[in-house]
Amino acid sequence: MFDLADVQGNILRGYTGKPHVRYLILEVADAMAARRWLAASISGRYHGVPQITTGDWGTAKPETCFNIGLTYEGLRALGTPSSSLAMLPNEFIAGMTASAAKLGDVGHSAPEKWPAPFNEPKRIHLIATIYADKVEQLEQIQQRALDRNALTLLGTREGCTFPGEKERDFVHFGYRDNISQPRFEGVPDSQRHPDRQPKAPLGTVLLGHPTNLEGLTWRVPQPAELGHNGTFNAFRVLKQDVAGFEKYLDQAASFLLQHPRVEELLPPGNEEKIGKGLSRCEALREIVAANLCGRWRDGTPLALSAEIPDPKMDLTDFDYVGVGDSRCPHGAHIRRCNPRGGQIVQRIANNSRRLVRRGVPYGPPYDPAKPFERDEPERGLLGNFIGASLGAQFEAMSCDWLNLGLQDPRITGSNDPISGANDPRTSWFDLPLTSGDPIRLHGLPEFVSTRGGAYTFLPSISAIRYLGSLTT
Amino acid sequence: MANDESWFGKFVNELHEKPWFKCAGAWTLVPIWARLTPVKPLPGGVRPSIQPGDNLQSMMNLIMPLKTENRSPIGRAAAALAIAKNRDQIFAGLDNVGTVHFARFVIVNDNICMFSVYDGDFTNYIRDFIATIGSAFNDVVKLVEGGDAVTPCEENVEAFIQWIHEHDLYQVPDTPTDFLRDQEYLEGDKAVSPVNDDLTLLPRKLVLQLRANKNVSLGSGYRAYPGYSVAQVRKQLQLGW
Amino acid sequence: MVDKSTAKRLVDEMISNLPKHNRQQRPVHTIGVGVDAYFTASDVARKFCIAEHFSGERICAKVRFSNASGGPEQHDGWNDVRGMATRFLLPSGAATDLIATTLREFFARNVEDFFEFTKLDKHKPYRRESPWRKILDMLQLKIPRRDPYPGEETNASAGILNYANRHRFAQLGVAEFKKIGAPVSYARAAYHAIHTFIVEGENEVRRPVRFSWQPVAGVGNTNPDAPPVDDYLRQELEGRLQRWPARFVLMMTIGEAGDAIDDPTRPWPARRVRIVMGTLTLTGVPEDQATAGEQISFNPLRLVRGIEPSADPILHARRDAYEVSREMRGGTACPFSHRSCADGE
Repeated sequence: MFDLADVQGNILRGYTGKPHVRYLILEVADAMAARRWLAASISGRYHGVPQITTGDWGTAKPETCFNIGLTYEGLRALGTPSSSLAMLPNEFIAGMTASAAKLGDVGHSAPEKWPAPFNEPKRIHLIATIYADKVEQLEQIQQRALDRNALTLLGTREGCTFPGEKERDFVHFGYRDNISQPRFEGVPDSQRHPDRQPKAPLGTVLLGHPTNLEGLTWRVPQPAELGHNGTFNAFRVLKQDVAGFEKYLDQAASFLLQHPRVEELLPPGNEEKIGKGLSRCEALREIVAANLCGRWRDGTPLALSAEIPDPKMDLTDFDYVGVGDSRCPHGAHIRRCNPRGGQIVQRIANNSRRLVRRGVPYGPPYDPAKPFERDEPERGLLGNFIGASLGAQFEAMSCDWLNLGLQDPRITGSNDPISGANDPRTSWFDLPLTSGDPIRLHGLPEFVSTRGGAYTFLPSISAIRYLGSLTT
Repeated sequence: MANDESWFGKFVNELHEKPWFKCAGAWTLVPIWARLTPVKPLPGGVRPSIQPGDNLQSMMNLIMPLKTENRSPIGRAAAALAIAKNRDQIFAGLDNVGTVHFARFVIVNDNICMFSVYDGDFTNYIRDFIATIGSAFNDVVKLVEGGDAVTPCEENVEAFIQWIHEHDLYQVPDTPTDFLRDQEYLEGDKAVSPVNDDLTLLPRKLVLQLRANKNVSLGSGYRAYPGYSVAQVRKQLQLGW
Repeated sequence: MVDKSTAKRLVDEMISNLPKHNRQQRPVHTIGVGVDAYFTASDVARKFCIAEHFSGERICAKVRFSNASGGPEQHDGWNDVRGMATRFLLPSGAATDLIATTLREFFARNVEDFFEFTKLDKHKPYRRESPWRKILDMLQLKIPRRDPYPGEETNASAGILNYANRHRFAQLGVAEFKKIGAPVSYARAAYHAIHTFIVEGENEVRRPVRFSWQPVAGVGNTNPDAPPVDDYLRQELEGRLQRWPARFVLMMTIGEAGDAIDDPTRPWPARRVRIVMGTLTLTGVPEDQATAGEQISFNPLRLVRGIEPSADPILHARRDAYEVSREMRGGTACPFSHRSCADGE
């Protein structure tokens, strides 16, 4: 049994009760002062620096949570010994911008187009995250966190779950989100929706533990207190074009209305089952939306219920085998991210590329009834994709599965319909039909574009203590 | 070409074919220019790209020099045996990696070479490979210079992938301009136009790159049916995938 | 779209760069030979393009091969781009053209580039380099300049090189032009249509594509070190076709997101899906060369339903420049003047 109190809390917990999240993007101003700041953050008792939230809350649930991630440049700026730096993985050392082609950060998403502070990736040293119930608390914690001698604030990003008891589970594009996360061996399970997928070995998410690939271990940067129980995070600012997404659903629905085999997709009379009072066209929009994602907007997995959304269905207890295989499109977003136990080309990779995802929407919810006069304001997702190996998990999923579609010959050559780097001139997506050949949709534009990000190392509490005690 | 040449003109025109001239050039001019206008060796493997076609049927050309003590018929036989005894590992492994079109081992002049054609990302390919045939890799790589530092590969995944990448040959692009762009990119030069280039220097740049990078792959290679993955071919031929 | 005065200026600039010009002849691709041919689409062609000539029926075709350089002087054996213009005579009575050259990429992205290029692309006296100069080049690991061909007193190579040194987009076209050589036969060269077209296949699927003709007999060039022969390509083709028809395979490469659609200076990687669209069989060189090729006014935008132009500005400029050039020499009128065509529908 390992010590939950040694691990930063945001790795194994979602803090789902804290709707307000603010990211402080920081540069080390003075190494000595920054190390003092780190040392103080462990207890939170000195100099007003907020305390790092660990995985062990004890009996009292903290009012606010505070966590940090360090980039390679940040570890260097703090004076981490070069022998330790050399043990970090290549993709982390080179940084997120160096992996642009693998992550689909091209065209509008290219790092050269990212706004400040992400236009100067080498200056980003530390990303601190504050989670709170109220905006005022974010302000308070930010004031306490900002020690001008130690750290320079380069910029902030702020997100908030949608207001409302029901809405809080939803994100832009109108899908229910944050449904399933991997469960880990040896970690108490605090999930709202018990996930029936096999438990992941702890090494999936923490360095120094067995991984899912038999016999393979990731290199742990030494000394052990620096690397052990640490992990890596891909922080992404992902802009979502909700108006464009809804417009595409219109376009696809009118295409389907004319399609000779549309009745297989939506038997006449079924519209009402898709949603109350829906027209045929509106029902088809929902069918397209469900297929692109692999879940109906209420979260019902298509693998369990392909014809209609069904609130009685379990949200996580499904797999892409047997009927589940044929019900869910092979190219659907959730299936591309996590093919579960379904048949994939790289058989060895089943379950090996799983990630912990922590995301919060930013920008106002889209309301089709009240379009903005000029351009819609920017909105999207502040996402964290956490895993012990950026290369074997986040990057592997992005380059071979989200884009390219290597895992299944029926989707190879196409990109993820929702988050892929799509060009309407070449993009396509197949809607499965029970009778045989699918209906192919064309012309999907890019709905999600990258507006910033960084690879960070999420150090353990021991590592923060170690970094805080460095003297060089 | 024209027949009004002087004997000296004719002599000079034919110089580039004379063996003594080639040797003199290689021994004197090339080192001088390498010193005056140094070039960095270009990295091996395929260039990163988002486009599907560029991520299917990629070629890996590994050239791994045997350790000095293995540069003998005995050492080469050891390499041959390492491959032979791991036949089951290699076949089962490649079947389950699922993205390899062709793979073969070749011994050339005390180098053990592995040539393969694979789909998808290079690091994913090698990582999956380590997971499935790590033991076969270990048997081969421990005969090779520098191999001890990265074996067993299962415990040195990151270092092993890096090591393989460093032994993968530079793939000279199909067009001379892409070769120039590769060099400019390495120097951090992204200028478009107007620029002040000198195209007549292309031959020298190629010579100096081939001095820095002794073994290279020429061009991106011919493919009879580009743009299709292993699984797409197998599915289309109804062989199962 | 390019206006008429720009098109006229394009043609005038090209003519003014020529050492000699006969107003009754094409300003460039002046020397050529017309050939009778037929085209048969492959069994999969129709899946990718619904245009009439890909239906699988045997389609009559007229082909004109040419040397790209302008003016009435014939130098078959010189280093030069070769052209292959094909007119498909469709059963419906319509016609469509496919114009290709041995140069794989163009050296200008748009009309402005092209005007700048023509300013530099002037013929200048071209003399043999002194042996000492050649030795100096070799000491610098450069390749000495080639000697002039017999009778070659001027050429534009200095201006072209100067242009390419300043513009990276032009470098590939220029580098390939410099070593393009002379084919042993018009039937032994590969010809590329350079521009991207958008073809419509089954189920209204549209794809960006580039076309190339590949000679079944294989690509073969003359020895660049041997003295060039001025007049052999037409006789060679006549003799070849008397013995046996010559064939070309039409290959269509499908572009992917991110490939240069509107820029003819940028090649597509060799790793794109390519489709065998059909076979062109050359049957003979007719006696009456006037109707076989000289009077046909080919135009890269003479297209039929199923093939549309991309937004490539050079492609659109060529449409009007070819038309102006035809008017100037009194060629057969192009249907653009009285009938809509694919991009104008």
